[in-house]
Amino acid sequence: MDISFFSPPEITTFFHKNPQKNDPYLDMQSTNNQPQSSHTSTSISSDSGEPCGDGKWASRLLRECATAISDKDSTKIHHLLWMLNELASPYGDCDQKLASYFLQALFCKATESGQRCYKTLASVAEKSHSFDAARKLILKFQEVSPWTTFGHVASNGAILEALDGENKLHIVDISNTLCTQWPTLLEALATRNDETPHLKLTVVITASIVKPVMKEIAQRMEKFARLMGVPFEFNLISGLSHLGGLTKENLNIQDDEAIAINCIGALRRVQVEERTAVIQMFQSFQPRIVTVVEEEADFTSSKNDFVKCFEECLRFTTLYFEMLEESFPPTSNERLMLERECSRSIVRVLACDDEIGEGDSECRERGSQWTERLREAFSPVSYSDDVVDDVKALLKRYRTGWSLQPQQADHESGIYLAWKEEPVVWASAWKP
Amino acid sequence: MTEEVISSGFIQTPIGEANPPPLKKKRNLPGTPDPEAEVIALSPKTLMATNRFLCEICGKGFQRDQNLQLHRRGHNLPWKLKQRTSKEVRKRVYVCPEKSCVHHHPSRALGDLTGIKKHFCRKHGEKKWKCEKCSKRYAVQSDWKAHSKTCGTREYKCDCGTIFSRRDSFITHRAFCDALAEETARVTAASNVVAANSINYHFVGASLGPGMGQHFASMFKPISTNNETPANPIRQGLSLWMGAHGLSQTQESIGNNNLQEIHHQLNPAVSSSGLVFTTDPFVSVPCSNPPPINYPLNWDFGNKPSSNSSEELTNNSSSLPLSNVAKDGGSQVISVPSLFSTQHQSHQTHSTANMSATALLQKAAQMGATTTDPSFLGSFGLKCNDSQIQDGNRYCSPYGGTATSVATALQSSVTDHLSTLNELQMYPSKRRHIQVDQDSTPTTGGGQTRDFLGVGIQSICHPSSINGWI
Repeated sequence: MDISFFSPPEITTFFHKNPQKNDPYLDMQSTNNQPQSSHTSTSISSDSGEPCGDGKWASRLLRECATAISDKDSTKIHHLLWMLNELASPYGDCDQKLASYFLQALFCKATESGQRCYKTLASVAEKSHSFDAARKLILKFQEVSPWTTFGHVASNGAILEALDGENKLHIVDISNTLCTQWPTLLEALATRNDETPHLKLTVVITASIVKPVMKEIAQRMEKFARLMGVPFEFNLISGLSHLGGLTKENLNIQDDEAIAINCIGALRRVQVEERTAVIQMFQSFQPRIVTVVEEEADFTSSKNDFVKCFEECLRFTTLYFEMLEESFPPTSNERLMLERECSRSIVRVLACDDEIGEGDSECRERGSQWTERLREAFSPVSYSDDVVDDVKALLKRYRTGWSLQPQQADHESGIYLAWKEEPVVWASAWKP
Repeated sequence: MTEEVISSGFIQTPIGEANPPPLKKKRNLPGTPDPEAEVIALSPKTLMATNRFLCEICGKGFQRDQNLQLHRRGHNLPWKLKQRTSKEVRKRVYVCPEKSCVHHHPSRALGDLTGIKKHFCRKHGEKKWKCEKCSKRYAVQSDWKAHSKTCGTREYKCDCGTIFSRRDSFITHRAFCDALAEETARVTAASNVVAANSINYHFVGASLGPGMGQHFASMFKPISTNNETPANPIRQGLSLWMGAHGLSQTQESIGNNNLQEIHHQLNPAVSSSGLVFTTDPFVSVPCSNPPPINYPLNWDFGNKPSSNSSEELTNNSSSLPLSNVAKDGGSQVISVPSLFSTQHQSHQTHSTANMSATALLQKAAQMGATTTDPSFLGSFGLKCNDSQIQDGNRYCSPYGGTATSVATALQSSVTDHLSTLNELQMYPSKRRHIQVDQDSTPTTGGGQTRDFLGVGIQSICHPSSINGWI
């Protein structure tokens, strides 16, 4: 399949074939396979003021392109990719951004170059991921949006309550949050009780991009714990290729410790086939509590159906991008970085399916799906009223649009953070 | 309602005898009651009852004795019955009904009925009142009201100068703030976070107790191992402190004066930096422990050989004030450390003017070459939306090092590979528009929350100098 972007000019004739119709793009489909003589030579230039009245051109185009790829219709693919290329921009409005990043993924899928693309993107990102940049990025994101802090507050509350009264705490943090969850927990440990327990924090990172900054993070955390007056020990496990390699020994779990396992966006990085095994491994550590926070999207059950997977990916990413756009100021560097990070994830999900990557699978599942898995080994713990109140108070501190969808009485499978009524993040707690 | 009146060992006078009312109401320490007083132990039910004062005529109950008296007037009683009984004159103290409580014993009784009610609620009661904003819970309504008034209005100020209205973001910022590295001993964790403003004073060591000497030292032990972290003159300077043990106390006053001079030279608006310059705490440094003594002596150290550094300060008062401690990626911009950094040749010869160059050197090392061949992009026919890119700050550290790496990557894989093209789109439009959104003297100080970490644009990328690196 030979895709060249910069195709001969006759393609442009399609745009103005039927000027009366509202949607020239749909027309392209019908006229696709018929050779046309050039009517007009003007093409829709790279200008974002589209003649089309409907603002959601990106999703439509992208969907069609995905269908075309699934159907292996190379001419159509060619056309759509070219159009998207013309209209897309990572600096434009939401539609343009979506078009740009999904175009990248679709292109990789069409040319079967997903793996290479992902690796390149990842290595570029890694180089620019200094401690200061990473810190600034994550703290700014947490300042403008509760996307991550929602899970932190819920999990911290559950952990504090479950481990209340214990003297030796050991928290296994499987996440890439750069320990931004823990300062508030440390502060709570220091001020809540008369007797401050000893805390051992073992951080397991799965995304290699995070690794270089963790050394600095470790130092800061130790210093902060000292400041708070909490006896603290920090360990880092970073060399694991996959979570299945965790054992009691390499986590250094002692018998007299009260264990809490904290998984933030971690389970989705496990290969789908290994997820059950990983959950059982958690069970073997005999934790007092397991807190799980994941994004609410399903990229797993539709693995075999590209279009369906694509639709779900597009839906979720659209929500995410819209949220980012409304949360950050207009010319925000941080937002750009987050969008790029998301784009890497999109490439990974859509264009790397059959290839085992370096561990980050990114195949999200919904809360209900995770619940099914976790129920095999654990039973759910409802968040107490205090924790729910804390979360509600947290959401109040952000802009409007965020809400808490409470736990369903029947499933009891956790709470959802909702952006404009759409659930986006799921948080839950489990005990053996 | 039944009241149990316990005659404790203290009370010898029989009931009915009137005590002359005290001329002046002395306030005892809470829980150390007047031995002459009558001890009353109320049951929890009675304590929490709202209408303890009953009118004997109609049986109506009132919360307060004054209200009852007011009500009784309305009954048109004959004069004799209007009088209060002498029984009420004697002072009463109350014990807490909760057995495990320290105030349960008569010797620790509380003198005020309202006081004992509040105590009982706070310590042993259910917290029924909840703050909407922060979900903190209270058992006593007046506590809750008082909190609601101040909740959300308090501001937390970090040592780096950034102000927060939210406690949780303040705590998280604090944990990762560069200013944390300069902290001295803390007495308690709670007092640090709760009394946000007092953080500034703590630093000076006014609150250092004798026991904190070790802690103080331990805070700085890791400094020597931190050389690989981003240039931090404060840390280097602090190691100076540990070495400066032998100096006599007489120099301290000199140090103080010099410091005050410098303080006035610097922008007085900047009072919330990692190193506090409020003069009062300095004067009041107790000097009983070696470590605090060294602190003012440091200034002396820096001052003696380098009157030039003071001059440099005045010369360059326009740039790089104290509050830019938490600067990403670069050397510290604090001008005061420049005083003792003249001792420390290893690190930086920091005049503020040189500092910008040094900072930029480091920045440039991170960022590498910023030129990419525009024609390279042109051949791909991609459009770059330049209009969005206005803030030069965005192209600082996040892009450090990517320019060269991407450029080389491109050379090696010359494909129409979209991914790299996306990266590239950034670079030709990388205009170093440095927004100087303050006037020529970027005297930031605590009042302006520029961006989240208190990093100012102009402080990092001094416009005139940075263009030389492009």
